[in-house]
Amino acid sequence: MGRNTIRIGPLVLAGVIALGLPLAVRSVTYLHILVLLYLYAYLTTSWNLVGGFAGVLPLGHSAFVGIGAYTSTVLSLQYGISPWIGMMIGGILAAIVGVIIGLPTFKMRGAYFALATIAFAEGIRVMVENIDNLGPIILNGPRGLQIPPLNTGLLNFMFATKEPYYYIILFMLAGVLLLTYAISRSKLGHYLVAGGEEPEAAMALGVNVARAKLIAMAMSSFLTAFAGTFWAQFTLYIHPKSVMSLDISFEIAFIALIGGRGSIAGPVLGALLLRPVTDFSRIYFGGKLPGLHLIIFGVVLILVMIYQPRGLQEPLTRAYRSVTKKLFGHTEAA
Amino acid sequence: MRILELKGVSKSFGGLKAVEDFNLSIEEGEILGLIGPNGAGKSTIFNCIAGVYPPTAGEIYFKGENITRQRPWDLCREGLARTFQIVKPFSSRTALYNVTVGAFATTGKRAEAERRALKVLRRLHMQDVKDVRAGNLTIAYLKRLEIARALATQPKILLLDEVMAGLRPTEVDEMVKIIKELRESGVTIFVIEHIMRAIMALSDRIAVLHFGKKITEGTPKEVASDERVIKAYLGEEYGTA
Amino acid sequence: MRFILEDIINGILMGSIYGLAALGLTVIFGVLKVINFAHGSLLMVGMYVAYWAVILTGLHPYLALVIVVPVMFLFGYFLQDIVIKPIFKAEKAVREPITVIIVTTGVWYILDNLSLLVFGPQYRNLQDNPLRGKMLEVGGMLLSVPRLWGFFAALLTALAIYLFFQKTRTGRAIRATSIDREAASLQGINQYKVYNLAVGIGTAAAGIAGVSLVPFYNIFPSVGVLFDIKCFIIVVLGGLGSIAGALLGGMIIGVIEYVGTQFMAATWTEAIVYGLFLVFLFLKPSGLFGVKYEW
Repeated sequence: MGRNTIRIGPLVLAGVIALGLPLAVRSVTYLHILVLLYLYAYLTTSWNLVGGFAGVLPLGHSAFVGIGAYTSTVLSLQYGISPWIGMMIGGILAAIVGVIIGLPTFKMRGAYFALATIAFAEGIRVMVENIDNLGPIILNGPRGLQIPPLNTGLLNFMFATKEPYYYIILFMLAGVLLLTYAISRSKLGHYLVAGGEEPEAAMALGVNVARAKLIAMAMSSFLTAFAGTFWAQFTLYIHPKSVMSLDISFEIAFIALIGGRGSIAGPVLGALLLRPVTDFSRIYFGGKLPGLHLIIFGVVLILVMIYQPRGLQEPLTRAYRSVTKKLFGHTEAA
Repeated sequence: MRILELKGVSKSFGGLKAVEDFNLSIEEGEILGLIGPNGAGKSTIFNCIAGVYPPTAGEIYFKGENITRQRPWDLCREGLARTFQIVKPFSSRTALYNVTVGAFATTGKRAEAERRALKVLRRLHMQDVKDVRAGNLTIAYLKRLEIARALATQPKILLLDEVMAGLRPTEVDEMVKIIKELRESGVTIFVIEHIMRAIMALSDRIAVLHFGKKITEGTPKEVASDERVIKAYLGEEYGTA
Repeated sequence: MRFILEDIINGILMGSIYGLAALGLTVIFGVLKVINFAHGSLLMVGMYVAYWAVILTGLHPYLALVIVVPVMFLFGYFLQDIVIKPIFKAEKAVREPITVIIVTTGVWYILDNLSLLVFGPQYRNLQDNPLRGKMLEVGGMLLSVPRLWGFFAALLTALAIYLFFQKTRTGRAIRATSIDREAASLQGINQYKVYNLAVGIGTAAAGIAGVSLVPFYNIFPSVGVLFDIKCFIIVVLGGLGSIAGALLGGMIIGVIEYVGTQFMAATWTEAIVYGLFLVFLFLKPSGLFGVKYEW
């Protein structure tokens, strides 16, 4: 069993399973859960570009989700523009905002940076919550916007069943994972890692650390906004607390941290482990034990940070390597 | 030609004058040594040259161009590389990865950068540890890694900040050999060092710094027998190579 | 004109309570050099402890301090000892313990949702307490009595903490550790004990703030969230580690809130506060009185 087979094998297997799941899973509820799972895996992987590779702790990414959601929704509701195009425009807008936020904040120390991103995100949310209309643009403040489920079809990014959504988000997830992999091998990836670990040394080696971080931020916010559009088209109702709340920012960051930020598999792993906890505890305990999933979250977070600060992907990768070594004589690395 | 020139460079931190009216020029292909007691201001001068912070007064010229206020990454692109007295490796990555970061300074392609990184590692006799995580390397290898990374950026001049500190005598000799080989390949070397026998063996010329001021400059022999230098180092043992 | 003055003064009074809440945070930061994201939750815990102390014992809200302060002190002490200390020990070499931020956010999640689970989501308040709605007339202006009490509580607590750090041996030991923990430990000061004490004091201060709030503020599981971010803004405005800065920063926020709501919606004043926060972060990150930390 060659090295590449060990490396690619499980991915191919996962891909095949993912593609075939909707055929096996008939329940609408479970499909919904899977869609959310992939959505969060997508969000955390996009976050990882800044939060993992660049080595900072952004806690305000919900702002970009919101920008994506509102941009495509407003454009489609008021101007009849296809949500796909709206998604692109939302992404560009988010990238611009991301760079504006990043310019002053990347110079700050870790804790201040985190606080600044929170302040930006909350500031944006508060503003959207207060604005009913911005000139001709209707935002509807706290009541939010509803998308009437009228014309279905791929061009309108609207479907009657969950399956198409499932495949779209799966495709988006695969895309962002491939992108992360490509970046990790590229010059930008190396520069981000260097700048994150030893900024002084990196600068002496020709790395414009600030610029690399801004590029990563622009990419991350661009991609995160896509998730906002997806969310809008999937749930057909958006309001500031649903797409821009601090909870979303925190959940994204913590899933990535528990899974292992800075690695490619970490965020996905985190989502795979934690999202089911959230969804199932809400289904089974929702009424009787509210907030239980967040308690579990908090406990897992603390334990992981104390015992496995690089995330759960580290022990899992080690375990995987020892298994393949026993089975095939070598791992995917050596 | 004069590859590096410092004219009237001064640096103050608040009220403290770390460097005062420092003048120096380095010829292309030279190995110039900078010595002085602890706290004399040697690293401060390096940091001013390398763009970590600008001098409070004076100018710095590199290849004839005024680089006084330029930032480290631009200077690296222009051919000025430096190492750090306290090594700063990217500990979570392999030695090869570390050097590849440097190699990316003059290329955008990973394959090419890695190839160049491997070549540099081989030159510094580090090919056997290329896949070792930097955090697990010995101090001798880490010092060499600092040089390897800087070398991968294809510099015209290399500023070495106490690369011998912490090395055993055999390792020091090896390092002297490596640095001499670097000069043979066309890199100008500006080296700060405390280990006297190393710097005497290496340098074509030596400048001596004391309390931020240059007290003398000349060949190793001249400097070693200079009264002022002996006074400044009173009690320190050294010997010419 | 009189109304503006009244707003300003009430803003100062309420703001001093914010400052009191932020006092604990600034002390914790000043000593441990970490940002404790769970501070709002500690305040919430303080409020619930005060609430239950009054309900169960029938004590006057301010007398509940006798129960609240020691309970909160111990709570903070052991929180640091059991949860945060392991991180410090593991991350000795790291310059900025981001991990602590993450862990304290975990604590925040746990505390807030535990209280949701145990106490339920309903808003509680001390309906019949003797201070509710009481107003004092001073020079034609109506000032809120509980807020006035809060103002004095804030000043007294700040003074007490200041004197503690300046005059007592333990206090000076804590200050020494905050300046240079290695040097302090060489002098025989147990740095981990110092940290426990500092967090204990900070949490006790949050408890006092809780007691001040309980006569007129609603108590519910996520009440801490509103204060959490406000406290950070105050601490950055006033300068991390500065006691006077925390009080002053709090008063500034209080005044903005009270005066601002006369001219615009409450949520716009929120936006202004965030804006001010960002401006300070960029232009004067050391705040009004804080020490400059190198970036």
